[in-house]
Amino acid sequence: MLIKLSWRNIWRNKRRSQIVVISIIVGVVAIILMDTLSMGMIRQMLENQIGSHVGHIQIHRNGFNDNKIIQNYLPDADEVEEVLKSTPEVIAFSERVLTLGLLSSATNSSGVFLVGIHPEEERNITTINGSIVKGNYLSGHKREIVIGEKLAEKLGVELGDKVVAMASALDGTIGSDVFRVVGLYQTLSSEFDKTYIYIPIQNSQKMLDLAGHISEYVFLVENTKEVQDVKLSIKNHLGEKYEVLSYRDLLPTLVMYMDLYKQTIWIFYLIIAIAMVFGIVNTMLMSVFERIQEFGVLMAMGMKNGKLFTMILMEAFFLGVFGTIVGVLIGLIIYFPLTQSGIDFSTFSEGLTAMGSGAIIFPILTFQGFLSALVIVPFVSVIGAIYPAIRTVRLQPVSAIRYV
Amino acid sequence: MEVIRTEKLEKIYGDNGVPVKAVDGVDLTIKKGEFLVIAGPSGSGKTTLLNMIGALDQPTSGKVYLEGEDLSRKSRSQLANLRLRKLGFVFQAYNLIPVLNALENIEFTMMLIGISEKEREDRAMKVMEELGINELAYKRPNEMSGGQQQRVAVARAIVNNPSIVLADEPTANLDSKTGESLLDLMEQMNKEKDITFVFSSHDPQVINRAKRLLKLQDGRIKIDG
Repeated sequence: MLIKLSWRNIWRNKRRSQIVVISIIVGVVAIILMDTLSMGMIRQMLENQIGSHVGHIQIHRNGFNDNKIIQNYLPDADEVEEVLKSTPEVIAFSERVLTLGLLSSATNSSGVFLVGIHPEEERNITTINGSIVKGNYLSGHKREIVIGEKLAEKLGVELGDKVVAMASALDGTIGSDVFRVVGLYQTLSSEFDKTYIYIPIQNSQKMLDLAGHISEYVFLVENTKEVQDVKLSIKNHLGEKYEVLSYRDLLPTLVMYMDLYKQTIWIFYLIIAIAMVFGIVNTMLMSVFERIQEFGVLMAMGMKNGKLFTMILMEAFFLGVFGTIVGVLIGLIIYFPLTQSGIDFSTFSEGLTAMGSGAIIFPILTFQGFLSALVIVPFVSVIGAIYPAIRTVRLQPVSAIRYV
Repeated sequence: MEVIRTEKLEKIYGDNGVPVKAVDGVDLTIKKGEFLVIAGPSGSGKTTLLNMIGALDQPTSGKVYLEGEDLSRKSRSQLANLRLRKLGFVFQAYNLIPVLNALENIEFTMMLIGISEKEREDRAMKVMEELGINELAYKRPNEMSGGQQQRVAVARAIVNNPSIVLADEPTANLDSKTGESLLDLMEQMNKEKDITFVFSSHDPQVINRAKRLLKLQDGRIKIDG
């Protein structure tokens, strides 16, 4: 009956309760949209990085990641390949040569990461072939090069133009070769587009005098949740000569940003919660002051403070739960279509492209986000009702009954 | 059997720093089955006395005993428990819970005690039948007249079989015919069920029904008979 009484009490002043419920709904919808969009943006940044180059896991000679010189080639590529072939979770892998170098045109030059790849194998790992906006992907012919559209603009080159790549060779001399631009790519990260160039692996090995050596293996696993386990398993197999790095190790800034977001989203929740607490306190105080005489009668009839206190908290809780349910439903109604269409932030596209997320953000609702939206507001509502409830139980029955 | 006993009961209000004696040394014994009216002009202390008897207000000095239990030694929670189990209240303004219907209002105190839903409903319906108000069971207070509300309030007050029912100006908001009818009902409950009623009123209608009349003046008993 106490539940029934609490529920009916909140609808005694319909307009006031409706205003509070609407403010709760707005808060819950804001929590859902803010969280899902932020998660979507971060996930896109991460997936774009994984898809455009990084892959799930990379294997190098120990120390390569800190010092990407060509002398740090893999000690025994065959051994690594054997391990990868015998690991069932690995769904695709590819070899690469990777070094820092300089790419020059007739008019300009730019520091780059020179990446030698097997074009066909690389298709299974990264999305570079799907990111070609002009020309073609590497066909397997010698001295072809695919560069980012942004880099092409900087160098002043177009399809079919020649560029010269230079990098320190294995023996310390400068290795160089001439390449013809066959394709221009564009990923969702403009910084990446300016930096990474792709050439056939054989050309890179010859140019750098590598004699068949490679710098790294990059591979994908079937389930991203298995990345850490697979990494550790392969690391155990290969031993100390190699470094086995997951995308979390290779993209520390992005991962840190993601972790930071998960921490800082609570500040956002807190701000919304504080705003709601004041709303609830205000509403419940008004509701309590209107009913002082009634509380006096309830006390006179023998209602104890605990039950009175509970009843007021329940009223606020019901307001919170009701607003939350409606808010979550509205939030989901907005959310689901957006998962298909995304939200076009073209106005901010330069900044978003620089961050690597792309201009269209597809929101992602995580379990944590959903749970937060469900739990925070009812919890905050109860917190907001504590002060009015304390004020109520401090009333003296006899003065409360006489209260006008 | 003694239900209420007061000893040198005194209540002083500090009104703007000037102490005012609302009740001044009242010694009173109320026995089971009495139909007692505390009468007197405004400010004579009748409501204050009723509130102290009903464990709603603490005396400045003196004692109130309810069935031999000293109320001054009870905590706030214990007093609430006593009011719940041993006292029934009827207020001038009816004071039903507006969001509950008549049946739920009557059941309310039983719910506080922890009586099962089935038993609550059976007992509430029985009392409503006895008072002839069963057709009001599912009406909310705003759908009832003042007289009907006050009858429901009486039902609420007696449903737990209290030791005593305290009624503060119960007819003040009712017309004379409805007031008479309500008093008939309370008198009937007093006779048939031996329920002790104590009224605070200056309404002649109520005073004329008194089996025992207590006249207060300046917080003191002037007439007891």
